[in-house]
Order: sequence, then structure tokens, then C-alpha cells
Amino acid sequence: MNRVIIGLMMTLCVVVGAGLFGILDSRATDVFLEATRPDFQKIPIGVFGFQNGSGPEWLGGRLEEVLKADLQRSLVFSLVDLPAIGVKVREVSTTDKAVFKQAAENGVSVLVWGKSGQKNGSKDSELLMDGFVYDSGSDEVVGGKRYVGSTSVVRLMAHRFADELVFRYTGEPGIARTKIVYVAEHGNARELFVMDYDGYEPKQITADGFLNLMPRWSPDRRFIVFTAYRSRNTQDIDILELATGKRWTLVSMPGLNITPALSPDGNYLAFASSQDGNSEIYKLDTRTKTPQRLTVNQGGDLSPTWSPTGREMAFTSDRGGAPQVFVMSADGSNVRRLTYEGDYNAAPAWSPRGNWIAYVCRTAQRLYKLCIVSPDGQKRVQVTTGPGIDDSPSWSPDGRHLTFSSTVDGKSHIYMVDTDGKNLERITFGGTHNSSPSWSPAL
Amino acid sequence: MRIRVATMGLTMVVGMLLVIQGGCSKKSIQSGGDAQSSDRGMAKSGGPAPSAMGSAGSMGAAPNLDAPSATFPDLSLSSKPEDPETGGLRGFDSVSGGKAPSEERLGGGGTMLAKVEPSESTARQIEEIRREQAKEQAASAEAGLRDVFFGYDSWTITEDGRQSLTQDAQWIKANAGALVKIEGHCDERGTLAYNLVLGEKRAKAVRNYLVELGVGANRLSVVSYGKERPFCNERSESCYQQNRRGHVVVRSK
Repeated sequence: MNRVIIGLMMTLCVVVGAGLFGILDSRATDVFLEATRPDFQKIPIGVFGFQNGSGPEWLGGRLEEVLKADLQRSLVFSLVDLPAIGVKVREVSTTDKAVFKQAAENGVSVLVWGKSGQKNGSKDSELLMDGFVYDSGSDEVVGGKRYVGSTSVVRLMAHRFADELVFRYTGEPGIARTKIVYVAEHGNARELFVMDYDGYEPKQITADGFLNLMPRWSPDRRFIVFTAYRSRNTQDIDILELATGKRWTLVSMPGLNITPALSPDGNYLAFASSQDGNSEIYKLDTRTKTPQRLTVNQGGDLSPTWSPTGREMAFTSDRGGAPQVFVMSADGSNVRRLTYEGDYNAAPAWSPRGNWIAYVCRTAQRLYKLCIVSPDGQKRVQVTTGPGIDDSPSWSPDGRHLTFSSTVDGKSHIYMVDTDGKNLERITFGGTHNSSPSWSPAL
Repeated sequence: MRIRVATMGLTMVVGMLLVIQGGCSKKSIQSGGDAQSSDRGMAKSGGPAPSAMGSAGSMGAAPNLDAPSATFPDLSLSSKPEDPETGGLRGFDSVSGGKAPSEERLGGGGTMLAKVEPSESTARQIEEIRREQAKEQAASAEAGLRDVFFGYDSWTITEDGRQSLTQDAQWIKANAGALVKIEGHCDERGTLAYNLVLGEKRAKAVRNYLVELGVGANRLSVVSYGKERPFCNERSESCYQQNRRGHVVVRSK
């Protein structure tokens, strides 16, 4: 009897095991439901502008300009040109039903307007922005926001308002208040800077006078991990706390210490080091400070990037001769090659939605452009085209854009582009060499 | 009722199968987003001992967990403090009846950033780096050390390279006190990260050849700069050629 049961169980094991493995394998790729489906209809939105009161002359125009750019980049809304459909733009109030109706009849779903100026009775010349929202679906003024602060937060007021709108209409955090950390040439050195996602307000965060490379955010946006050169002769992986400027060395192994990446839960640091001869991928438990080597082969392994669940990593390896993108489980098992087209594919970045891995692909014309591939390798799309060396792709937290460096305009600068290759936008203009951008998580 | 029984039966069967599956596969099914449980005890042979972090600086030094690098901040998300100024959105306030929305005061500017002032000590450090570099350059020029140049995507030492290194080896052997550093460099094509690996392969190819020629390995160190410190900044093959280099220098310290 027992033997029969064991036999039965073993048979079941083989049959069901094979079946379940099929299921598990397809699950292991972290494919999420795509919120940005190709048939997603953007929400038509009209911006009346900001009536400027007592504040500086530029205030209303600035708020309107920043808000419109944010709404455009959200890819959630499409901006309607109100004068073009015969809607007068100025002097709207919350009771202006006729204007709302006119816009709604012309297909506008959401209307936004506001007031700006000096805050009444404020002694330190504080500025104020009021923003209001009308929704044609419910035919009512949904509500408003009032922001108060110094001139240095004017852009932030508009960004915050844009994020409120994106959240209200999608339930997802917007990207208007996200940041990009990047490397900028500074004299003979390369230092780290953090700027707003639209390229404004760059702030220097390191000043060591030599090379600081490959910065990445911690999942809570409090820290930056990066490669720093010590005394020009060795590399460390350092971590910097943005609020305090405090800095620690996380890894200092002999040889290369490059391409650090914190896991989505912040508990592991994946990186590449060559202490064992050639570059291999390691994982450091940041709680126990215990390292674990994940790759074992004669080729160079580098650039680990975590899947959003933390269960898998994509990485670059030249174990077959030329660099290609591979995927493995976070414990180093289940290694499989992901890219087969072309003889140079590197610098992978797993999208925050899990459904794409962006990387640098060398085209048949030997150009270095951006490609995306699904984690099962079934779908592959080239995102950027034309001249220039593209490098270091990094995803926006909403999974709709990539930031990257490119030499398309001569010097290396930071750009952003939608995942379908549209809306290529240069976001750094100053400096002699900007590279290695990394997009922060959303707030 | 019948449906409920059937559902229960199905649940039990599936549950059993999951247990069996776990039993007959060598790899346990990972649950949840954290691979923590499967990490323990799975360190691969050939990996470092579990205390290999933090051998700061000196090459080949014994791993040392007492190095300053062993202390670093708590990175777990549970330790994340609330940021009242920049954090969560609060939604729109009702403005019916002409009521004003409640006031949100904004400070900071998103992520709070400590200002980095290039201080006196960093200025000193920058000056020190400049001086050391000049010293190395002068010493290397005086020694007549030659560099090695590589092909596109390649770290193979050419016949020309072997001749240069034969000369370099003679000087290094004749100057027993000198320490030599080999910098690996790349042209601007390809990715920043892979070029750091490629640069190291070039530097190590140079080092290995010098060792073959009888130079003590303990006198040679390697560092890769990838494409981050090019010799030449134009976009032409002659410039690229100069940047694909194993740069041999006399170390100042």
C-alpha cells in the first residue's frame, strides 16, 4: 500500500512538477500588467494659466510653463490648445460654468487654472500658488491646492500640482518631483550631481577632485551608491546620504569595484568586482555585511540590475566572447542568455514595471543605441536611432521613459525619451561632459 | 454546497501538489519578494569567505571586517523616516462655496540635499592629486616607459606592444626600487561600465606580459579608467587608437 502511494506520488511529482515548472518559469520573469497599454487613451486636459497677483512678474508664466511640461511628459494627459478650440484663456473663476461647458463640448475632460502672487501679510516675501481642477465627467470643480514657499520652490509647486493630477486620474505616483543623479565633468574630475527630472536645479553632491562614477539611488531616495577612486589607484563602492552629505565605503575589494545596485528592499547591494581574477557579480547583505559571489566563469560579469520583485537580476557578461545581456535568479542560479541580436549588448536596466529590460545595443552599422527586450526574450525593440553613442539607460519610476547619455550633439549630455522612441528631449545644457544618469524612485 | 466541496477538494489537491513539488525539486520555490531565505547556505564554492569586504586600499591584503568600511547606514526600508515636507500627496481640497484650499508649505526642493562646499581640505586634496600626477608623468618620461596600444574591442598585445614592454621590463628590472602602475584605457565607443572591464583586461594583459618577461608581480599594480580619462578627445580613429592604451607609469606612492 505504502509503495503504491509512493509510486503514485513520484508519478505525480514528475507530471505535475513539469507542469508547475512551466508556470513558475513564466512567472519568474516578473511580467506585470501594463498600465500603459498601447490603447491607453490620454486624458485631454486644458490649462487656462495662472492669474498673477502681487508677486514677481514671471511667476504665473513660470508656473504655467512648468505645469504644462509636466502634464505633457506624464503621458497620462494630452494638452489641449484652448484658444485653438475657441475657449478664452484668461480670467476664469470657479463659477465660470459657461466656459467649462464650452471646453467640455470640445472634448476637454479636465480643466486647470490658478492664481499666483505674494502671500498676503508675509514678511519674508513668500510666494503663493492656488490651483483648481474642473472635471467635465462630473461637471464640477473637483477641488484645489494652495502652495506657499520661497522663490526656490516655485518649480516644485507646479511639479507637485502635476503629481496630484496624475495621482487623481491614475492612482499612480507621477514623476514630476523625481530627480536624476548623474556624473559631470568638473575641471579634471568627474563629480556627482543631482537635478530635477527636467534638468533644472542641478546640485553638486561630491567634491573629491577625481573620478566618481555610476551613481544609483537607494529605493527610499535617501542614499546614492557609486564607484569612487581612492588615491587614483584603487576603486571603492561608496554610499552617500543626501540629506547630510555623510559618506561610507561599502566595498573595497582588490581590483574593480563597479556597477553597484541596491535591491528593491534595500537589503542587498549587487555589484561587480575582479578580486577573483576577472569581473564577477557579488551580492552584499547590507544587514549582516556578508558578501556572496553569484557568478563563476572565465568571462567578465558586470552591471547587475534587479527585477522589481528582487527575485532576479539581469547583467552583462562576455562569457561567450562579446558582451551580451543575461538573466539569473538573485541567488546566482538559472542563468540564461537574453540577447542574441548583434555582437555587443550591455548596460541592462530592468524596468520598474518588470516588463522590459533596456540596454545598449550595437546596431549593424556599429552604432551604440538603446534597445528594450522583454524578460522572456520574445519581444525586442530598438528605441533610439541615428548618430551618437548612447549609454547608461535608466527608467523613470512610471516605466514610461528612459534617461540616458548620448553624444548625438557632440559632447556627452543627458537625454530622456519615451519607450517608443518618441519625445526625445535633451535635459542638460551646461558643462563639458555629463554621463551616467540614474532616475530616482517616485516619492 | 457542492461547489464549495469541490473548491475545497481542488484547493487541497493543489496544496498537496505544491508540497510534493517542493519535495521533488532540488530548488525550493521562492515565495515573496525577498530572496533572503534562499541565500543562506547557498554560497557557491569558489566564492570568497563570508568576510571578504573591506580590505581597503592595499592589493591582496587579507580581508578585514574591522576596517572603517564595515560600518554603514541602515538601508532597510523600515528605517525610512517620514518626510513631511516632500512626501505623500494630500489630494485636492474642496473649494465649494468659494472656500480657499488649505495651505501646504513647501521647503527643501524634493529630496533634501546637503550642500557640498568644495572645502579647504578638498581643495588640498585636488591639489595633491594634481601634484602626484605631474610627478608620475615626469618620472615615467624620465624612465622612457612606453605604452601599449590595442585594437578595437581587443586586449591582445600586438608585436609592437611586445617590443615596447620588452624595453619597459628592462628599465623596471634595472630600477629595483620602482613601483609601476599600469592604467587601462579605452576609446569612447561602447558603454562606460563594460569599458572599465575592458580597460582592466588591457592593464592585466600588460602586467602579465611584464611578469612573463621576469618582472616581479609585486612591483606591478593595475587600475582601469575605462573611457573616463581619455588622452585625446576627438572623434576620429587616430584619436581612438591613442585612447585604447595600456599606460605604463612609475608610481609615486
